[in-house]
Amino acid sequence: MIGRYAGLLALRRVIRLAGRLLRGTALAALLLLALPVTLVGGYAATLAWFRGWPPRQLYRAAAWCLPMVAAWLAALAAAGQPWPQVVAAPYFAWLAMWHEVRAGRYLLAAVTVGPAAIPLGLLAGGLAWAWRIYSLETGSGGLTPSAPAAFDRRQWRHQARTARARIAAPGSVPLLLHNGSIVAGATIRAIRHPARPMAVIPYPRVRSHQVVIGTTGTGKTTLLLRLWAGFLRRGLQLHAAGAGHRPLLVVVDCKGGADSRRIADRARRVLRAAGAAATAIWPDEASLSLWALPPDQLTSTLVDMIEHGTGAAAYYQDVLEEVVRLAVAAPGGPPASAADFLGRLDAGWLTMAYAGTLGEVGLLPAAARQVSDVALRFRTLLRRLGGGLDGPGGFGDADAWYCILEGTAEITVAEAQARALVDLLAWYATRGPDGRREILLAVDEFSAVSRRLPIWQLYERARSLGLAVQVSAQSWQGLAADDDERYRVASTADGGIWLLRTPYPEPVAALAGTRRVVDTTRRLLAAPVWAHEGLSRAGGTPVVDGEIIRGLAVGQAAYIYRGGVTYVQVKRLVAGPAELPRPAGPASGPALTRLVGRIAGDAAGDVAGGDAVGAGVGGAGVGGDVGGAAGGAVVLDAAAIPGVRPHARVLPDVSPVLDEAFGPEDR
Amino acid sequence: MSERDVTGLLFTADMYGVQLDQLAAWLGTSEAGARAIVARWRQQGDAEMTRLGPGRPWVWLTRGGLAACGLPYQPVAPALPRLAHLRAVTAVRMALESTASYPAAGAHWRSERRLRARAGRRVPVREHLPDGEVHWPDGGPHPAVGWAGECWAIEAELTRKTIRRTAAIMTEILTRTGDYGCPAAEVRVPGQPPRHARVLYVCSAAARPVVLRARTTLGASLAGRVEVRRLPAGAGLAAGEGAVRAAPAPSGRGPAPAAEAGP
Repeated sequence: MIGRYAGLLALRRVIRLAGRLLRGTALAALLLLALPVTLVGGYAATLAWFRGWPPRQLYRAAAWCLPMVAAWLAALAAAGQPWPQVVAAPYFAWLAMWHEVRAGRYLLAAVTVGPAAIPLGLLAGGLAWAWRIYSLETGSGGLTPSAPAAFDRRQWRHQARTARARIAAPGSVPLLLHNGSIVAGATIRAIRHPARPMAVIPYPRVRSHQVVIGTTGTGKTTLLLRLWAGFLRRGLQLHAAGAGHRPLLVVVDCKGGADSRRIADRARRVLRAAGAAATAIWPDEASLSLWALPPDQLTSTLVDMIEHGTGAAAYYQDVLEEVVRLAVAAPGGPPASAADFLGRLDAGWLTMAYAGTLGEVGLLPAAARQVSDVALRFRTLLRRLGGGLDGPGGFGDADAWYCILEGTAEITVAEAQARALVDLLAWYATRGPDGRREILLAVDEFSAVSRRLPIWQLYERARSLGLAVQVSAQSWQGLAADDDERYRVASTADGGIWLLRTPYPEPVAALAGTRRVVDTTRRLLAAPVWAHEGLSRAGGTPVVDGEIIRGLAVGQAAYIYRGGVTYVQVKRLVAGPAELPRPAGPASGPALTRLVGRIAGDAAGDVAGGDAVGAGVGGAGVGGDVGGAAGGAVVLDAAAIPGVRPHARVLPDVSPVLDEAFGPEDR
Repeated sequence: MSERDVTGLLFTADMYGVQLDQLAAWLGTSEAGARAIVARWRQQGDAEMTRLGPGRPWVWLTRGGLAACGLPYQPVAPALPRLAHLRAVTAVRMALESTASYPAAGAHWRSERRLRARAGRRVPVREHLPDGEVHWPDGGPHPAVGWAGECWAIEAELTRKTIRRTAAIMTEILTRTGDYGCPAAEVRVPGQPPRHARVLYVCSAAARPVVLRARTTLGASLAGRVEVRRLPAGAGLAAGEGAVRAAPAPSGRGPAPAAEAGP
């Protein structure tokens, strides 16, 4: 009985073995018969493995071969072949190929069968490659259970290498596509996103809130510069076509120090190449006027800039606010400068200013004792703030503003500056003198200075004003003060989240959700042999793999959007060299006009040889709708500007000769 | 051959070809007089004249005429699609030359044909050449005009390009530092003054809004160097009959400097 059972087992094994041999032989015969397709398919699948391509790439290549097939068939039909023979042309080509092979004419054989074999081979290679990926992803393929993980790691290396090669080719990665989408770089891998060779961000997403997280030295600045340049170039294109408002980029760098200034210099060069007529660096080279704010807003901004406590100190805050209100809303008009404002913080001045105003005069004796204290506090604050907010100047003077706050060295000053800048921008966005602008506010490490203005408040406020906010931080913790705020910021980033290498990506990765995967267990036959038998079950795995994020190399980023992720090799923007103009303190008065003229002049000067000529900036604003030179001479006070090249000069007015030749121009 | 013949032949050669009414105005004679002059040129084998499109007949130089002038141009008749543009450019040149400042300052016109010939094969296919340059010489003890020493690029715009393309052309012209035909490394050299102090756009009514809009996209430094004017009367192909602006006598002009003659 036992012998019979053993015999049956042996017979079954022999039959199975014979069946496998038969299947293998049949498959080998099929592959041999379809040798051209086998060769092309094998080559295509190997290439896809080596380059880390998705199968779709091979399908697409096969589809691109269809015109060749159509042309081949059309040529046969045009040569007088009857339709049945045209339809059966691949078969006849295959027969002819074997005849040529037998005759030793291998090249002719390849040419004969090529039109049919190449698309079929690509298709077969794609299917084989897709099956290989699927079997390893589900854990059913590979010799060992660890094979899928090893396969994934290897594929990541191949994909990253291909992406690096793609961006290394000169001119291969434009800043914008023909449809205006911004190209961030080459795609390494895409999950639940379209797998395109280039990682593309539609312009509207840059006009929405975005979050960027990455530690120092991971390529965060490179990524940001690319996004900023794309925003400006596309915005200027749309504006030129009459399809949008002129773009304005405001970067608030809250780190400060020499590093920020190096980045500012790089940003200026990159943005200039992107079309920005002028990039102002605040407060080193350009200034803004806090005093341009309307009186009510100016009062609340000034009060918020002063640190004050709670409890008993609330009384003092009320007094301070009242004194500031009296100084700002004095009958002669709001103050025009810091000196003007400080001059008003005097009981005598206020009494004289409000003489005859019954209601306000009654308040003055009560506040008189506090006025000198208030003046002292504001004198100290405004002295520490420097001239950066004392004007003249406004956001309309340039296409891009790079604002440097000393958030590391002087945190209280930086907090006050941040508050003032946001208020100024909010006012400019709603009631600015230049009309509406497409504004992108990019804040880096804003949490360092957000004690007086929580970042979620900035977010909400910006949303209501139509501004896009781009928040960047070195870590999840740096995004905001507490987890509530962090989640609020991250979960409302409807333009997507960029993750570069960071040690704690899990909270953001969790926002991308999970995806369904099939997991297969394998039966262990004998160490180290695993059977191809087991159980498969569906489960969930995170869309964003935290391990990949922790291991991202410099210049690699993960773009998370709508439950999908695209891993990107960011292409660095290279701009022409330019020196950072010497910091000469905040520009003031006509100096700002000249300064902005110089910045704008550099745009042409560094390219064309520095005939740095700025138009009448005071009248039109740099980069704005300049009326041209028809109305008079093009003016630049070149001699007053340090660093302007010696051949910079004033262009004379040529209107007389043009009027004589072509008739007077409408003004 | 009289001086008027020489200047007329050079003028005709530089402009690719001119219509009889414009040639007559430039030579300071009547159309009948110009026709007689051209008949003499044809007799000598220097020029051809035929009616190519609306308006007066067109005159252009033959191989013999170009050789007599020492100009290395290809002897071809004006291309039909370019007739309107050629007439407009000629009208712009004549309008500028008719001003008092032009002869007083010794200014001279450098035509697109001359620029192209000088550049030879070194002009990339996509590079844009202006329709002409006006050079205002300096160095004299008392310059007649305040803009002496400048070189202007001239663009005659009849049809609407896209704003982007127009702005790109403006930028290309205004940021160029090297002469046309110079080595590629000298086309734009940082630290060198730009070749063209300004660019003069003379536009039709259709093209003018696009040019104005493109100028606003440039930014202040470049936009301030773009002058925009309307085409003079008689610049249109169909409206050429008798509408050409009178020009001063040819004695006020002369051939371009000898150094400019060859590529």
